[in-house]
Amino acid sequence: MGRFLLHRLLRLLPATWAILSIIFLLSRSFSQQQLATGRLADVSSTAHSASGAQRELAERQLRARLGLAEPLFYFSAAPRATAGLAARWQWNGTTNQYHRWLRQLSRAELGFSFRDEQPVTALLQRSLGYTLPLTAGAAACTIGLAWLAAPYLGWPRRRRSALLSALYLLDALPLFVVALLLLLLLANPDMLAWFPAYGLGREDPAASGLAQLQFRLYYLALPILALTLVSLPALIVQLDAALRQELRADYVVTARAKGLPEALVMRRHALRNALLPALTLLTELLPGLVAGSVVVELVYSLPGMGRRLAEAAAAHDYPVLLGGVLLIALVRLVAQVLADVLYFLTDPRIRLSQ
Amino acid sequence: MKRLFLSIGCLFTLAACSTPASTADETVRIRWSRDPENLDPLVLPNPNAYEAINLLHCSLLTVDYTQKKFVPWLAQAMPRVQQQDSLLLVTYQLRPEATWDNGQPVLAQDVAFTLKVMNCPGLPNEAARAQYGFIEAIRLDSLDQRRFTLVLRGRAQELVQSSGDYPILPEYKLDPQGQLRPVALAALRADTARTNPRRSPAVLAFAERYEAAHLNQHPENLPGCGPYTLKEWQPSRYLLLQRKKTWWADRVKNPAPQLVANPTAISYEIIPDDATALLALRRGDIGVYPMVPARDFIQLRQDKAAHNLRFYTADSYDMITAGFNTRRSVLRDAATRQALSYLFDIPGLIQASQQGMAYPSVSLVNPQATAIYNDSLPLLKPDSRQAASLLSNAGWRRDKQGWGRQVGNGPAQRLELTFSYRTGDAAYEAIVLQFRTAAAQLGIPVRPQPLEASLFTKQLRAGETDMFLQLLSGNPFAYNFAPILHSQSLGWGNFTGFGTAASDQLIEAIATEADASRQARMLRKFQRLLRQESPMVVLFFLQYRLAAASNLTNLHATGIRPGYEAAAIRTRPVSPLQP
Amino acid sequence: MKSRARFSTLRRWLALLWLAGLLVAAGLAPVLPLPYAPDAPDLHAIAVTPLTGQHWLGTDPLGRDVLAQLLFGARTAVLVSLPAAALATLLGTILGSAAGFWSNDNIRIPAVYGLAALGVVAFSFVFQLSSGTSILLLGIIAAGLSLGAARLHRAGYRQVVALPVDRAVLGLGALVASVPLLILALTLAALLQPSPAGLLAVLVATYWPGPARLVRAEVLRIRALPYIEAGRSLGLPDGRLLYRHILPNCWHTISATFPISVATLIGLETTLSFLGVGLPPETASWGRLLASARLAPTAWWLILSPALAILLTTLALRQLSNTVSRNPQ
Repeated sequence: MGRFLLHRLLRLLPATWAILSIIFLLSRSFSQQQLATGRLADVSSTAHSASGAQRELAERQLRARLGLAEPLFYFSAAPRATAGLAARWQWNGTTNQYHRWLRQLSRAELGFSFRDEQPVTALLQRSLGYTLPLTAGAAACTIGLAWLAAPYLGWPRRRRSALLSALYLLDALPLFVVALLLLLLLANPDMLAWFPAYGLGREDPAASGLAQLQFRLYYLALPILALTLVSLPALIVQLDAALRQELRADYVVTARAKGLPEALVMRRHALRNALLPALTLLTELLPGLVAGSVVVELVYSLPGMGRRLAEAAAAHDYPVLLGGVLLIALVRLVAQVLADVLYFLTDPRIRLSQ
Repeated sequence: MKRLFLSIGCLFTLAACSTPASTADETVRIRWSRDPENLDPLVLPNPNAYEAINLLHCSLLTVDYTQKKFVPWLAQAMPRVQQQDSLLLVTYQLRPEATWDNGQPVLAQDVAFTLKVMNCPGLPNEAARAQYGFIEAIRLDSLDQRRFTLVLRGRAQELVQSSGDYPILPEYKLDPQGQLRPVALAALRADTARTNPRRSPAVLAFAERYEAAHLNQHPENLPGCGPYTLKEWQPSRYLLLQRKKTWWADRVKNPAPQLVANPTAISYEIIPDDATALLALRRGDIGVYPMVPARDFIQLRQDKAAHNLRFYTADSYDMITAGFNTRRSVLRDAATRQALSYLFDIPGLIQASQQGMAYPSVSLVNPQATAIYNDSLPLLKPDSRQAASLLSNAGWRRDKQGWGRQVGNGPAQRLELTFSYRTGDAAYEAIVLQFRTAAAQLGIPVRPQPLEASLFTKQLRAGETDMFLQLLSGNPFAYNFAPILHSQSLGWGNFTGFGTAASDQLIEAIATEADASRQARMLRKFQRLLRQESPMVVLFFLQYRLAAASNLTNLHATGIRPGYEAAAIRTRPVSPLQP
Repeated sequence: MKSRARFSTLRRWLALLWLAGLLVAAGLAPVLPLPYAPDAPDLHAIAVTPLTGQHWLGTDPLGRDVLAQLLFGARTAVLVSLPAAALATLLGTILGSAAGFWSNDNIRIPAVYGLAALGVVAFSFVFQLSSGTSILLLGIIAAGLSLGAARLHRAGYRQVVALPVDRAVLGLGALVASVPLLILALTLAALLQPSPAGLLAVLVATYWPGPARLVRAEVLRIRALPYIEAGRSLGLPDGRLLYRHILPNCWHTISATFPISVATLIGLETTLSFLGVGLPPETASWGRLLASARLAPTAWWLILSPALAILLTTLALRQLSNTVSRNPQ
């Protein structure tokens, strides 16, 4: 087991490197030009007095300062050959953006944001601090609710169908509709103003730990609820499909014949086996926790990871973007290993390839 | 399990009941839709950062929102201007009352220092350098430490206003030993223009110190002479500014409006979503909601439950324009462009996309500026018959597939257009779809092309579009159309590709003319020229909409960004509950 | 019991009826006598409530008729979202079952042929193939390499390399999934013009890892069951084992996720259209209609009608997939 884990973890490194390199090269090669243009776009529309030459100079200098003036990779496309056999590439040496980035990465540095010139690690850390309570809370609520709902999936057909239809309806609503609906129902002075409309309030640093937790929870209640409502259907539908399969199995018939109550049969016997395919959802869940939710964070004005990455993408702020992708990719790969290990633990019949 | 669920439920309920008591202070809470991101006074990436910097720092001149003109701020009076060949000499006198937080006076030396910082290599000052590169030199007065003359290259009148429109930075804080003093501004300017600037040890040391101050996130390391200081900044959450206990302008007798700062604290609340901001306003979490979407604004104004709010509108100088790329062969002649401009249903679009809260104009001039607005030109009305006859005049013939023509011996042309716009704005989409429908009725195929913002800019600059939508921001202070219509701005701001020798000359003459009535005559002529040539169609000017709590007064709601004046706001004590 | 059976039949018929209606709407939308076109804004009727004016189901904030958009949206759903879900599920099933079944060491190919292929690829990667001579040269090299490989193979050089199918599929899935959709969308926006075919490709390319992972897990489970071991010991070929004995047992997992995939893909299309990457703005879709509700959050009809359409489609598909999985023969 230990060797297997080590093996898998070691193998993650090249995979992560490959993923990041591809994203780095793709993202930078597509919008090399656009980046500086975007940064100075505001200036050029207001800078009544700047001449074309001045703006060109400013753009060149900005690109040089951000490290975008160098070639992108060790080699780049050679000019088109006129005849005969010619090399497709030309060598650029080690003064290139990729080399610089890789060296930085090997020192565990992610560089500085193009927009606010902050270290990317600090930015991501801060965003994670806001996102994790939200997403982890929502995940806990979702799993708890699914666990509670599982026995009802053994209901007679018609009631079960009604429950599933309700879930499908929930699934047909996009997240922003659910989030706005909750806001308009539960934070509206015209309806029920039980919850705050936005943000996280101003914590009182002098308050006790419990009071602070309560305060945070009060502000996070609606966002957590919105995320829970949206992620519940997929989980329960998946669970339901697996349960259908398991309930036909012999051991369930035996358990029922023993006279066990239906809820117990569900939870103790069928559910355990039905969880296996649902384990793959873990590989989705963990990266999702880190990636945050753009929509919920936008609607409820939370400064989390999703919003940070979306803004970075819109502003072509690649250091932040790559940092975020690195984080998500790492968590995803770790989650995959974790899921494999859990498979092994729940069903030892599955052989793991070393 | 049930118990766990119950306890979670209880916790939520508890949390819901423990609503924190709102503190009854005089903080003015204003909604921002995005973070200022970077508060380095040299960078200022967005209007919010600009607004905050204007509360933390003072510049020589500022805008009086009620009179809509530039007024002296750190300067004692508007500067004296002299013309010398192709240069303008602008002489300023600083206010004697103006001091830094440590009591030292603000002197001409500080202005010189600011200009050097804006041109110092190694600093993030590319934008500032491009914008204020027209300031060639500063001449200090040897007799009066508060007197100096700026040498400006160019003769446009707006340069005078721009020459005083940047925050003045304290030399004592960034360069206490005065290491930059012996370095000449001209040397710094020459250096930054090179690709590999030579740098003296003093300049290098200064650049290092500047970077070490981390002004982008810690503007409190550079206390300006503005009325407010930064108290707290949680990026993407809020920015809290605190009024200085004593600000130098408090000592001025009978202070002008720009020398008064009322709120004891201003808190900018960052709420990206409009619907959420509306709820926050209704609940009293925020006091000022600028740039309310038209639909929400109208609904709110009619809502009886919103009686504790006041509503303001102001005619802005922002206009939505449709441009034609005159370099395209099908759009090269004015008649075709004129014909196409008759397909826009401008009154309908104002009603549909702005709920009637916008106003049409014949050209790039705001109709409120009656002295220069050419009211003898008719407003554009949708008229497909006129469009068809103009098209025939331009040589187009209608056939089964649409319109085609033959110009000289060139290839046969088909009248088929793409219409590009920045994605994400519903108003743009409405305009393009309306145009497409009207064009389809006439048999002209139009393909809408929504583009991501930077890609859109790139295509505009490369001249790869046929027609495009663009938001142009004007101002009431100066008329300079060179950035958008002069042939020298091709590839920069002039995306229509328009520009003849005559139009270039007229644009230059308008920009440099000092006499108001002569300038008005030329502006009227320019509007007529634009209508004839029709390189772009002004669809409408926008209105700024502002909703604020009724206990806030003196907001100075205006059509100049940001649409209000935060420092002027007064808080009326909340009247006791009426029986 | 009898009434229940009848109810079940009724539901099946309803489901079929809805899906048939969808297909008819999709096919006939352009020729139906609709009072308004889906892409022509009516500037005098902006965000009109249903049943109050000329527009039966109201209009959106740009003045487009909701009814027309729903019907044309059905066309988009049939032409884009359904095929995308089907293709993504198919691709996911193929890749996922291959990964689960063969793992990393069960497919082996002779090393020499692998090397020969690698050589040809490397040559065309390093040199420009613009002129006729270089293409000729490539042909000569390819022929030479394969001849040499065959000679070596005959001479007894039988080294084999295992294809790491599982690792490749998982890695590819991780690559796709670790790029946030938004970034992918913005990158693609710089490359592609919005078009239905492009959208289909993007949707399939981003969505397949989900089904693939589910199927892989299921295949992993089934592969370890005794009857597969028995089949193996009988000497059944791999393909037959996989497609006759394993995949049919995965059907319930696949069919349970398919309807929800359709709903998710319509949602994904919403996001992409909203970002300006998805469909061109003149193409109506349910997703776009839902997204337009963002401009007017109080306009319930903009949420209700497309959400109902999506819901009914999902339910109908689920009903059918249940029917099929219960009576596989």
